[in-house]
Amino acid sequence: MIIFAFAFGSSNSLGTGTAPHEIAVINLDQGAAVSINNTTEHINAGATFTQLLENVTYPQTDTHMFTLNNVSADQALSMLKGRALDAVITIPENFSQAVVSLTNASTRAETTSDIGLRVINGSAAQLPVSTTLPKQGNVTSQIIVEGDTDSNAFAAAQSLIFNLLQQYQGQIQAMTIRQVDATLAQKGSNSSINYISAAVQPLTGTRSLTLFDYQAPGVIVFALLLQVGSVAQDLARESARGTLGRLKLSNMRSFDLLFGTLLSWIVFAVAQILLLLGVAVALGFEWFGGANSIVLAVLIGLIGGIASISLGLLLAAFTTNERQAAQLGVLIAVPVFFLTGSFFPLPNEILGTAFGTTFQVYDLLPWTQVADALRQILVFGSGFGDVAAYVGFAIVLTAILFVIGVIFYSLVRLRSELRPE
Amino acid sequence: MIEQSSDYSTDTYTLQLQGLTKRYGDLVAVDDLTLQIKKGEIFGFLGPNGAGKTTTINMMVGLLSPTSGAVLIDGQDRAQAPKRSIGICPQDLVLWEELTCTENLTVMGDMYDLPRAVTKARVRSLLAALTLSEKANARVSQLSGGMKRRLNIALAVIHDPDIVVLDEPSTGLDPQSRLLLWDFVRLLKNKEGKTIILTTHVMQEADALSDRIAIIDHGKLLQFDTPANLKKKIGSGDIIEMQLTEQEKNEAVIEDLKSVNGILEIQEINDASGKIAIRALNAVNLLPEIIERVDAIRTRVADISIRENTLEDVFIYLTGRGLRE
Repeated sequence: MIIFAFAFGSSNSLGTGTAPHEIAVINLDQGAAVSINNTTEHINAGATFTQLLENVTYPQTDTHMFTLNNVSADQALSMLKGRALDAVITIPENFSQAVVSLTNASTRAETTSDIGLRVINGSAAQLPVSTTLPKQGNVTSQIIVEGDTDSNAFAAAQSLIFNLLQQYQGQIQAMTIRQVDATLAQKGSNSSINYISAAVQPLTGTRSLTLFDYQAPGVIVFALLLQVGSVAQDLARESARGTLGRLKLSNMRSFDLLFGTLLSWIVFAVAQILLLLGVAVALGFEWFGGANSIVLAVLIGLIGGIASISLGLLLAAFTTNERQAAQLGVLIAVPVFFLTGSFFPLPNEILGTAFGTTFQVYDLLPWTQVADALRQILVFGSGFGDVAAYVGFAIVLTAILFVIGVIFYSLVRLRSELRPE
Repeated sequence: MIEQSSDYSTDTYTLQLQGLTKRYGDLVAVDDLTLQIKKGEIFGFLGPNGAGKTTTINMMVGLLSPTSGAVLIDGQDRAQAPKRSIGICPQDLVLWEELTCTENLTVMGDMYDLPRAVTKARVRSLLAALTLSEKANARVSQLSGGMKRRLNIALAVIHDPDIVVLDEPSTGLDPQSRLLLWDFVRLLKNKEGKTIILTTHVMQEADALSDRIAIIDHGKLLQFDTPANLKKKIGSGDIIEMQLTEQEKNEAVIEDLKSVNGILEIQEINDASGKIAIRALNAVNLLPEIIERVDAIRTRVADISIRENTLEDVFIYLTGRGLRE
């Protein structure tokens, strides 16, 4: 129940509530030189806006609107595809120049407006003799907000970012006008010049995809996880019926039984993946990459299948009958599935950083890696090179799980059993 | 003191239990059991339910680790002995229901690394010996209970082991199937020279098949000898079973008859019949005196019979009449 609440609860809070949105800011802003009181200063408006995003809180709370992830553009994209991020904001190179243009334009507009008024009022003679208008700039800049347009979390984050940018632009204008008015001792006027803007860029592949398309890989992982109970039931049946005892008395080695079990369930896993993909395609699932993607997806799904078989072995070591195995299988497989984040985004639980990648607690589950890799391939059309790291981690984690499963099953079930008459 | 027949030299023992003990917490399931089983004999292993037979058997075959003691097969620790040397027919049906008879046997042949040709020949001969040839390709789930029992036995010997453990193999068999089983057990002994360890609750079966019998209770060995010697040990003579017209006078009659010379033991049978069982030497000669004494207590004999001492009498004498489990 706790894990269900965790999964659903986190989904709600990250989607539409007042929890911080996971974002990454790729600041490409080159900055701009600004002349203030005959001295030239270098400003970086991109950094200022990033700071604003980092500090802004929800109204009347201490909760930050955003959690900024310090990652590279490639990592950000990868995290976005894996739904570890809600949005990626790219600030263009000319952002500061656009801000300068905005400031200059605001100054000119306000000053011009002020001179006009004085001429009308007959007080133009009072103008300071040193007044010179800044050059009219024409640099405009557009911030790109990238994300899965089908995601509620993205929609919420994107609207907040747009709103903040609008406020940011308004504040620059207001500040400029205040400075002009202070010089000219005149109340300001409003101008609506739009030098900086924002645009949504749908994540590659999501533009034409439905929620079903996005979640189909997760369904495959879910089906693979259900094998946990089936494998455990299969082995528990051998134990409960006594056939395992008969086999133990023969020349059969632990490896024979466990490898045989693995092989038979691998065949089942492949069939299951193909069947699921077939059904998904029949229901309108659109995937990227053609037949190669399917082959790659089957192979990656197989790793998930082996991980499930390994967990089944581990479970079978501690169950004495089929019913127990079935119940425990569901009890374990479903929460594990939620923890893979295949259906719902999960809160940040960072474990550490290695090889330039931030690892979350959930990344310790091989199925998380498999789900991410499947999504990259089927939804975003990535190739093997793009998912090699996921596959590598999935294989290592699966191997560890298999060894643990084999050790426990051998120790508990394949030795002389300690049960009374 | 427990006595064991000493007519076997040590080197003929194929299976030896040395101080075998199994504890589950405070419960001692098998208590310091020492037995020697001779090569080629049928060894009857008797005891009431919960006496420790199956626990002992599971330790013999390696399904259970003893708390202390050792099991030697041909002088070698069981763990070091070849797995092929022993085969077990468990008390429960242990079969793959979704496989056919032939497939069940072939799987086990493969598991013992038998060459496929040997397995095939062995499958054929076992199915024939146990009259299952017609069901060779039938799924186990389609077999009758008796057929499953017979296949259960075949699985124990598919790999041609030297020692065969049959744990209550006749449970649930009709008389015809039981006779077939007895013939098969004798065939295993006489033609294949196997050592057979047989547990059963059918005393007639143990008596008919066993060369020697061990009786255990509460995990301890009570007696171990040939059936004939066992019957002699607990008392020579015959058993007189007598029913009075007035059962309420059973106690008085029993008290009176205890003083009769030649009566070794007398007790009321605790069942609905209310009979009195008298074990006596020269039972036939004692009958007139017994009837005379019954008359003196002013009651009459409604029914009386004499029979030979049986293994069941020995069993009940040693283990008592109280229900177990």
